[in-house]
Amino acid sequence: MFFALTEDQQEFGKAVRDYLAERFDLAAVREVVEGGVADGNPASLWAAAGEQGWLAVTVGEEHDGLGLGLVEAQVIARALGAGVAPGPWRGTVLAAEAIRLAGSDEQRRAWLPKLAAGEAVGAVSHRGDVAGGLPAVEYGAEADVVVGPSDPDLAGLSLLTGATATPVGSYDGTTRLASLSGGTAEALPGATVELQKQLTDRATVLVAADLVGIAREALTRTVAYDRDREQFGVPVGSFQAIKHALADLHVGVTMAEHASLYAAHAADSAAAGVLDPAEADLAVSVAKAKASEVALQATAAMIQYHGGIGYTWEHEAHFFYKRAKRLAGQYGDVAVHRERIATLTV
Amino acid sequence: MDLTFTAAEEEFRSELRSWLSANIPQEWTRPGFWESLDDDESFRLRRDWERDKADAGFAGIQWPTEYGGRGGTPGMKAIYDEEMVRAHAPRTVNPLGLTFLAPTVMAIGTDAQKKEIIGPLLRNEVVWCQGFSEPGAGSDLAALSTKGVRDGDDFVVNGQKVWTTNAVHGDKIFTMVRTEAGSEKHRGISMLLIDMDQPGVTARPLRQMSGASEFGEVFFDDARVAAADCLGEIGDGWRTAMLLLSFERGASGISQYTEFRRQYDEIAAVARTLGRDTDPVVRDDLARVLTELECLKLHSMHVLTQVEQGRDLGFEASMTKLQWSEAFQDLWEVYDRILGEHATLDTLPDGTDLRPLHGQAMWSRSVTIWGGSSQVQRNITAERVLGLPR
Ligand SMILES: Cc1cc2nc3c(=O)[nH]c(=O)nc-3n(C[C@H](O)[C@H](O)[C@H](O)COP(=O)(O)OP(=O)(O)OC[C@H]3O[C@@H](n4cnc5c(N)ncnc54)[C@H](O)[C@@H]3O)c2cc1C
Repeated sequence: MFFALTEDQQEFGKAVRDYLAERFDLAAVREVVEGGVADGNPASLWAAAGEQGWLAVTVGEEHDGLGLGLVEAQVIARALGAGVAPGPWRGTVLAAEAIRLAGSDEQRRAWLPKLAAGEAVGAVSHRGDVAGGLPAVEYGAEADVVVGPSDPDLAGLSLLTGATATPVGSYDGTTRLASLSGGTAEALPGATVELQKQLTDRATVLVAADLVGIAREALTRTVAYDRDREQFGVPVGSFQAIKHALADLHVGVTMAEHASLYAAHAADSAAAGVLDPAEADLAVSVAKAKASEVALQATAAMIQYHGGIGYTWEHEAHFFYKRAKRLAGQYGDVAVHRERIATLTV
Repeated sequence: MDLTFTAAEEEFRSELRSWLSANIPQEWTRPGFWESLDDDESFRLRRDWERDKADAGFAGIQWPTEYGGRGGTPGMKAIYDEEMVRAHAPRTVNPLGLTFLAPTVMAIGTDAQKKEIIGPLLRNEVVWCQGFSEPGAGSDLAALSTKGVRDGDDFVVNGQKVWTTNAVHGDKIFTMVRTEAGSEKHRGISMLLIDMDQPGVTARPLRQMSGASEFGEVFFDDARVAAADCLGEIGDGWRTAMLLLSFERGASGISQYTEFRRQYDEIAAVARTLGRDTDPVVRDDLARVLTELECLKLHSMHVLTQVEQGRDLGFEASMTKLQWSEAFQDLWEVYDRILGEHATLDTLPDGTDLRPLHGQAMWSRSVTIWGGSSQVQRNITAERVLGLPR
C-alpha cells in the first residue's frame, strides 16, 4: 500500500512552489490583477513553465514531453493554485491531453512539442461549439490553438485556430477569459463520447487540484496571521472560536488533498483500463465537490479571520477568494457533482 | 501510488475470509439480531466466539509471535479490520484491553505483567475496563480524585469512575489513581491494574439513551491492589496514560469506512422505500455524506501508508477521529431527515423494521464525546498541529 506522493512527485511540487516564492510572489500576481501585464500571461513565468517541464508533464516522450501522468499534473496544479498564479498552464496542458488522446499523428506532431515547450499556448472549452462559438474560455484570446466541441449535439472535438476573441469580464483577476467565434476548425479524429468525458474529467481534476492549493494556502496564511495578531492582549489565534474553525478547515483541506490525489490516480487508472470507470467517476466528483466546498470555506475564513484588513484591496485575501469562487463553479459546482455522486450511489 | 496489498497479505485475507464464512452463523447477520439479545447474552456469545477466533489464529494480528500474536503487517491488520466488518462479525468484547492495554504492556510492562496480561487478553479470558473518567474529571482527566493510599505491599483505593465501558462484565480495570496525597494535576497519579472481583469494587450498569447498558459506574471502597500491579512507574501514571492513548493512532479507519458505507446503502434503501430518493435535497445530503466517507477511506489509506513507512503520525490522530466521528454523525442526521414523519417510529408503512438503524442513530450521538470529544480534538489539532497559541 502506498497512498502518497513519491519523492520525485514531491520534488516536482516543491520546485513549482519554490519558483513562485522566489520569482513570482503575490506582488507579481498583484501586478497582473491590476492590469500591469497586457495579455495576463507574464513572460518570465511562462518561460519557466516551458523550461521546467510544467507544460510538458503529460506529453509523451516521443513528442518531447515528460510522459508523466495526471498525478504529477495535479501536483503542479496544486502549487499553481497555492500561488494564485496567472497564465494558461492548465489550458495548454489540457489542449495537449486532447490532442495526445484524440489527435491524428500529424496533429500530434504539429502541436505537442510546441505546447510542451510553451512555444504555443493552448486552451480548452467543454461548452459551446466551434461553429457557433465558445463562451468564456480561459486565455481564449492568447491561445494559439483551442480544443472545443465540434457540434453542440454530436460527439466530437475540434482544434480551432485563428478565432476572434472578445474579452469576458470577471472579478477573478488572476485569469483572463474570452469568448471565441469564427476561425478555422479541424476535427480531432479520435474524440469519441467516452473520450470527451475522460477529457472533461481530467480537466475537472486539475481544477479541483488548483482549488485544493488555494485552500491550503489560504489556511496557512490565516494561521500565520492569527498567531501574531494581538487583541485583548493575546494573539487572536488563542481564541477557541477561531481555533475550532481553523482546525475544522485543516481537516477539510487535508481530506480534499487526499481526494484530489486519488482522483488523478483513478482517472489515469480508468483510462489505462485497470479501474472500473464508475469508480473513477465517483473519485472525480468526490474530489471536485470537496475541493470546491473547502476552498470556498477556507478563502472566506481567510477574510474573516484577518478582520478589516482582509477586506481591503491591498490585502491578498481577495485573490484567493475570487479565484476559488470562479473555479468552484467550473466543470460542475458542488451541487452538480453531488448529483453525480447521488446518481452513482443512491 | 500503489493501492494493492502484498501477496502474503492477500493470502491472509482469503484464509480469514474462509474462516469467517464458516464460523459466523447466518442468524447473526440478520439486522437487529444483536439488539434482540439482552446485554449479558450478547456479551457471552461474543466472548465465546472470540475465543474460538483466537484459537484459529485470528487474534493479535500485529502482535509479535513471542506474545502469541500473529506477527502480521499493518496491512494485515487493516485487512482484518475490513473483513471483520464485511463478514458481519460481532464486535469485540475487549476493545479497551486489546487496543490500549496490550500494546502498552508490551512497551513498558514488567516481565511478569507481560506474561500475566497479554496471553489471557488474546483469548479474552480477562476482560479489561478503562477507569479514567470520573464524575468530576472527563475531558480534564488530570482533575481526577480517586485516591490510593499505600498499605504495606498494597494500595488501598477509594473513589469512583463513571461511563466505564463494560463495567459490569469487566474482570479488571486499568485505573488512573492519585497515589500521592495532595498532588495536583498530572503529578502523583499511578495507573493501577485493579481486580474488579473483590469486595472493595462495585460495578453498576448505567443505561444509555439507546436503552443499552454498555457502560456503568465503578465504585472503589477500600479496594486493594498490589503496588506491583502498577503499569509504568508509581506516580508516573500520566505518562503511562499518554502512551496508552497514543495506541489509538494506528487504528485503521478502513473498518469504520466499510461499516459506514454499508449503513449508507441501508439508508439509501430507506430513502427509496419512502420515495424520497428523488428529492434533490435528500440527494444532496446523501452525496455530501458519501463524499466525507470516501475521504475517510482515502485518509485511512494515507494513515496505513505512514504506518508502513514507520512514521509517527503524532497528533494527526485527532484529525482521524474528527473525520470519522463527524461524518458518522452527519450520516445519521441525514437518516433522520429522510424519515421525516416516520422519525422515531419502529417500522415503516411497508413493515421495514427501523430499530437497528435507530440504534445506530442514537449511538452516533456518543461518538463525538468519548475518546476525546470533538471540541478537545479541535483544540489538539489547532494547538499541536497548526501551532496556534494556547
Ligand atoms: C459511550 C461512551 C463510552 C465511554 N467509555 C469510557 C470508558 O470506557 N472509560 C472511561 O474512562 N471513560 C469513558 N467514557 C467517558 C468519556 O471519556 C467522557 O465522557 C469524555 O472524556 C468527556 O468527558 P465528560 O463526559 O466529563 O464531558 P465534559 O468534559 O464535562 O465536557 C462537556 C462539554 O464540554 C466540552 N469541553 C470540555 N473541555 C473543553 C475544552 N477544553 N474546550 C472546549 N470544550 C470543552 C466537551 O466537548 C463537552 O461538549 C465514555 C463515554 C461514552 C459516551
